[in-house]
Amino acid sequence: MDWIFLAELSVNGALTGLLYSLFAIGLVLVYKSSSVPNLAQGALTMLGAYIVLAFSLSLGLPLWVAIPISIIIMFFVGLGIEKVALRRLAGRPIVMILMMTLGLDIFIRGTTMAFWGGTSRPMDLGVSYDPFFAGPLLLSRIHMIGAGVSVALFIAIVFFFRSRLGIRLRAISDDYMASWSVGISVERGVGLSWALASVVAVITGVIWGEIQSVDQSLSLLLLKGLTVAVLGGLDSLFGAVLAGILLGILENVGAAYLDPLVGGGSRDLVVAIVLILTVMVRPHGLFGRHDIERV
Amino acid sequence: MNSTNETEAAKDPILTLNSIEVLYDSVLLAIKGVSLEVPNGGMVALLGANGAGKSTTLKAISGLLKAERGKVSRGEIRFDGQVIGDSPPQDRVGLGICHVIEGRRVFEHLTPDENLEAAAPISMSRQTLKSEKERIYSYFPRLAERKSAEAGYLSGGEQQMLAIGRALMTQPRLLMLDEPSLGLAPFLVVEIFDIIQKINREQGLSVLLVEQNAVAALKIVSHGYLIENGRVVMHDTAAALKANSDIQEFYLGGGEAKNFHDIKHYRRRKRWLT
Repeated sequence: MDWIFLAELSVNGALTGLLYSLFAIGLVLVYKSSSVPNLAQGALTMLGAYIVLAFSLSLGLPLWVAIPISIIIMFFVGLGIEKVALRRLAGRPIVMILMMTLGLDIFIRGTTMAFWGGTSRPMDLGVSYDPFFAGPLLLSRIHMIGAGVSVALFIAIVFFFRSRLGIRLRAISDDYMASWSVGISVERGVGLSWALASVVAVITGVIWGEIQSVDQSLSLLLLKGLTVAVLGGLDSLFGAVLAGILLGILENVGAAYLDPLVGGGSRDLVVAIVLILTVMVRPHGLFGRHDIERV
Repeated sequence: MNSTNETEAAKDPILTLNSIEVLYDSVLLAIKGVSLEVPNGGMVALLGANGAGKSTTLKAISGLLKAERGKVSRGEIRFDGQVIGDSPPQDRVGLGICHVIEGRRVFEHLTPDENLEAAAPISMSRQTLKSEKERIYSYFPRLAERKSAEAGYLSGGEQQMLAIGRALMTQPRLLMLDEPSLGLAPFLVVEIFDIIQKINREQGLSVLLVEQNAVAALKIVSHGYLIENGRVVMHDTAAALKANSDIQEFYLGGGEAKNFHDIKHYRRRKRWLT
């Protein structure tokens, strides 16, 4: 066995995995406040990327201007989704909210298709694709940058949840009724969590857009992101980060050894197996909370 | 002491309910004409059996009805002389109404410290926040000992104390407690009721207490309302209620045993009369 090859696969897998985590963080933010996996997160990611491109390619603004503008726009898109689509669903069965996120997903994909069509556009961040060697390992620069962004975002959000506003958001995710009873505006909290998830979507969209360029297939990140979020426990940020690394490594290493045997395409198979096994063996994921029961 | 309270009460109620009616889902009439008054700085109990409409009354006052698709369809609620109409719960908390909902419902995954912080108005300065938390811990020293454990792991009594402490962080002028004694050991009920009484006396906080445990409740309040089937059927001072033979029989567990047929008959007559 070639240990250096295995190490290279693992490290690159972990880096890719952290990019899945980036996506999953957006899912976790919404899950914490609304108790539903947001099926529209993939479409939001794609929308974020398209908005960045609209400012940079069409209006000719530099990326460092286009990205912050898009973040602000998507923040308000997130707030708007809560206000228009979700507020009236309060108190309805969770499955209705889930269906609403599916509806949003289809709606956003349809609209972006109408506006920007199906052709693939490059998101040129100007990151070099020259080989980069860390010791004997060949690594991808954009993946390293993305992984760094992912970790930084995770840390920022963890600190945010310790602030007074963050504590209120966590209170909302614990108990709507009790939150209302002490004067916390649940509606605004849920709106804020959607807004933050939409901001995360822009960042995810930019990095994944650079890696695979921007087209409709960007929204399919949902499947891997969802697997990571479920494996991490859906409501755990740390779980999302760790599960991302884990899935990335499993996928990369697994595919490298399985692909020659089955003739390719085993990447998605590994992801599917992880998702199915998680749900069967450990439904609340690695770090998902089970409701506290005192003994 | 009771008599001076009463004269003050008459001229200056902090809360007035004027024959309110509550509809759930636009069809189900949960309460049908409840009128009551809480004197400023006073303590009043709302007594009655399960399902009589006590919790619904509190939710109508705090605005939490909305979350259960209920609404006040008739009558008016006045707080401090002002009609509160249709405002959302957070506005009412801002006015000074805080509702400690039934079943404790602390934020389980937050520590007691964070539970208190979550309830503090966002405009409260850090300094005030700190001194307010100290004040709560001085009322409930047990909480201070466990302030960094997850609240879900506290005992039932501690959770009830936390729920009350959390409500006090909103700086209420009227505290509404829904069954604070539920599922607690008798000595804890005494402890918690003592603290409520102490806060009432020291801070002049008005209290509206909903209880099934009429014995404990009538010990600390000045007035009581008896609610039955969505209506107030009796209203008197605590002393008079304790002495009333019907109350003794139905809610205080005293009196002579009666046969079931008589009881039923009595209840039916009582409803028609009121």
